[in-house]
Amino acid sequence: MIYLDNNATTRIAPEVAEAMLPYLTKFFGNPSSAHALGREMKQAVENARQEVAELIGAADASEVVFTSCGSESDNWAINGALATQPEKKHIVTTQVEHEAVRNLCQQLETQGYEVSWIGVNSEGELDMEGLRQALRDDTAIVSVMLANNETGVLFPISEIGQLVRERTNALFHVDGVQAVGKLPIDLKSWQVDLFALSGHKFHAPQGIGALYMRRGVDLPSFIVGGKQEDGRRAGTSAVPGIVGLGAASRLARLEDDHDTVLDLRNLLEDSILNEIPNARLNGPADRSKRLPNTSNISFEYVEGQNILTHLDEAGIYVSTGSACHSSSHESSPTLRAMNVPYTAAQGSVRFSVGRYNTEAEIRETLTVLPGIIKKLVDMSPYENELKALYAKRG
Amino acid sequence: MTNLGVRRHPRALLVEILLSTAETLKEHFLNPSNVGEAGEPRFTGRAVSVSCGAVVQFSVQVDQAHNILQAKFRAVGCDVLISASSLLSEAVTGMSTAEAANDVHSQSFVEEFAEIDDNRSACVALAGSALISALQDYSNTARDEWSGDDALICTCFFVSEQTIEREIQNRGLTTVGEVTRVCSAGGGCGSCHQLIQEILDSVALP
Repeated sequence: MIYLDNNATTRIAPEVAEAMLPYLTKFFGNPSSAHALGREMKQAVENARQEVAELIGAADASEVVFTSCGSESDNWAINGALATQPEKKHIVTTQVEHEAVRNLCQQLETQGYEVSWIGVNSEGELDMEGLRQALRDDTAIVSVMLANNETGVLFPISEIGQLVRERTNALFHVDGVQAVGKLPIDLKSWQVDLFALSGHKFHAPQGIGALYMRRGVDLPSFIVGGKQEDGRRAGTSAVPGIVGLGAASRLARLEDDHDTVLDLRNLLEDSILNEIPNARLNGPADRSKRLPNTSNISFEYVEGQNILTHLDEAGIYVSTGSACHSSSHESSPTLRAMNVPYTAAQGSVRFSVGRYNTEAEIRETLTVLPGIIKKLVDMSPYENELKALYAKRG
Repeated sequence: MTNLGVRRHPRALLVEILLSTAETLKEHFLNPSNVGEAGEPRFTGRAVSVSCGAVVQFSVQVDQAHNILQAKFRAVGCDVLISASSLLSEAVTGMSTAEAANDVHSQSFVEEFAEIDDNRSACVALAGSALISALQDYSNTARDEWSGDDALICTCFFVSEQTIEREIQNRGLTTVGEVTRVCSAGGGCGSCHQLIQEILDSVALP
C-alpha cells in the first residue's frame, strides 16, 4: 500500500499509540473525579493541553479547548461568535472553505444571516481587496481557512487578521485543520481569535480536535451539560484521544517532517508535470504559497475517478476532486472558484504526502501513473485536444 | 446471413449490462474491450451528458449484409460508463444493425431504472445512446446510397416507402408507433421516424 491521501487522514504514529495505551488499559478514570485516579487523568489532559498550545504558539495553555473533531470546532466557533453578538447579522467567509464552514454558512443564510463569500483567483489565492470591501460594522465573524484541503493553497492569515482588526470589531476564526502539523504556526503573533484543529490530520486518532480561543474570547458551550473544560465544553473528556493529540503535537513540534515531506512532494509533482503532457497544476507555481505536502494536479480530458480506481487497483491511494453522480457531476467548489475549466476539473487528483512516505514509494507511483494516464488518454474522445497537448510538449 | 426481424425483449441488452456483477464491471473498467475506432466503412455516433459532462463515442463497421463487424468506443466519464461501453461493444459485435438497435433502444430504459439504480442507469443508457447514434449514421448513409426502384425508408428492417404507404392506406394507420407494430419500420435505430411521419402526413392529405 502506498498512502498518498494524508490530507484525508493520517496513520496513528507509533509514538502516539504508545502514549495512549496506558489510557486504554490502566488509567480509566474520569478526570473530573476527586480521587487519585481522577487526578492522574486530569494531569494527562493538562499535559496534552500544554503540548497542543506549544505546537500552535498559543500564549497560554488555557486557550486550548478539546473537542471531538475539526467540524465541531468550526461549528462552535461560528455559532458561538454569532450567539455572543446577536445584533450583528453579517458573516464573511470564502468560496473555498471546507464543508464544515461552507455548509454551516449556507445554512445560516437561510436563517437570516447575510454571508459575503470572498473569491479566489485562478491560482486559488484570496481576493484581498474583495475581503477588505466586505468587512462592515455589523460583521460578526470572519472565517477563513489557513490551508486549503484540496489544493494546499495558504491564505495570508497575518495580513487578514490585521485587516479585520483595522476595519471591524468582528471575531476572526481560522480553520487550521489542514495546516497544523504541516507548517510552523504561531498564533500569539497573529490577530486570530479562534482557531480549529483536528488530531487525525497529523497522526493522532480520529475523534479528537481542539478549538483555540484567544484569552478574553468567551463562547457559550456548544454542548449543554457539565462543567468540563473549565465550563467551556460539557461532556466527559475523551482522555485517550486527548493524550494522543498531545503526543502527536509533541511529535510534530520536536521531530518535524516538513523538509522530507517537501522533497518527496516536489519529486512527485515535478516528475508528473514534466512527464505527462496533459497534467497541469491547480494552485500557485510558487510553492511557498502552498502546503509542503499537497499537489492538486488535473489530467486534462480524462476522468479523475478513473485514475483513482486504477491507482487503487495498484495499491496507491489518492483522492479526486471530481465526484460523479447520475444527476450531476460535482466538480469541487474550490476548483470551480478558481475557474478551472470543466475538462480539467473533471480529471483532478489530489496527492498528499505524509511523514511515513518514502522515496521508493514516490518512484513506484511515478512508474505506475504514466501508464494509467496513457490508457485513459487513448480512450478519451477528446482526441484532437490531446493530440495538440502532446505535440506541444512531446 | 442477416437477422432481419429478430425481436428479443426490447432493452434486454442494457438491462443485462446494468445487472452485471461488480466483478464484471470492474474487469471491463480495468481492461476495456474495443477501445478506438472501427474499420472502414465506419459509422460514428456520439452522446454527451449535459448533467455530468461525460462524453462517449461509438463507431461501427458494417458489412453489406448489415452485420456489425466491429464496434469500438472512446469515452470520458465514470467507471460505469467505461464498463458499459466495453460490454456493449462486445455484445453487438456480430449482430445485425437491426438486432443491435432493437436491443439497445434506451429511451424508456432510464425512466424505468432510475428508481432501481440511480447511479448506474443513466451511465449505461448514455453508452446505449452513442451506439444508437452510430447505427443511425449507418442507416442514414445506407438510405442515401440505396439505388433500388422504390425508396428505402427503414434500413434496419429493410422496409420501403411503398410498403409503408400501402400499410397506412389499407389499415388506416395514423401514428409512427402503429406503423412499426404493423411492418417493423421504425423499430430499430429510429433514424426514419421523421420520414415515416412525413409519409403519414402526405397520405392523410385529402
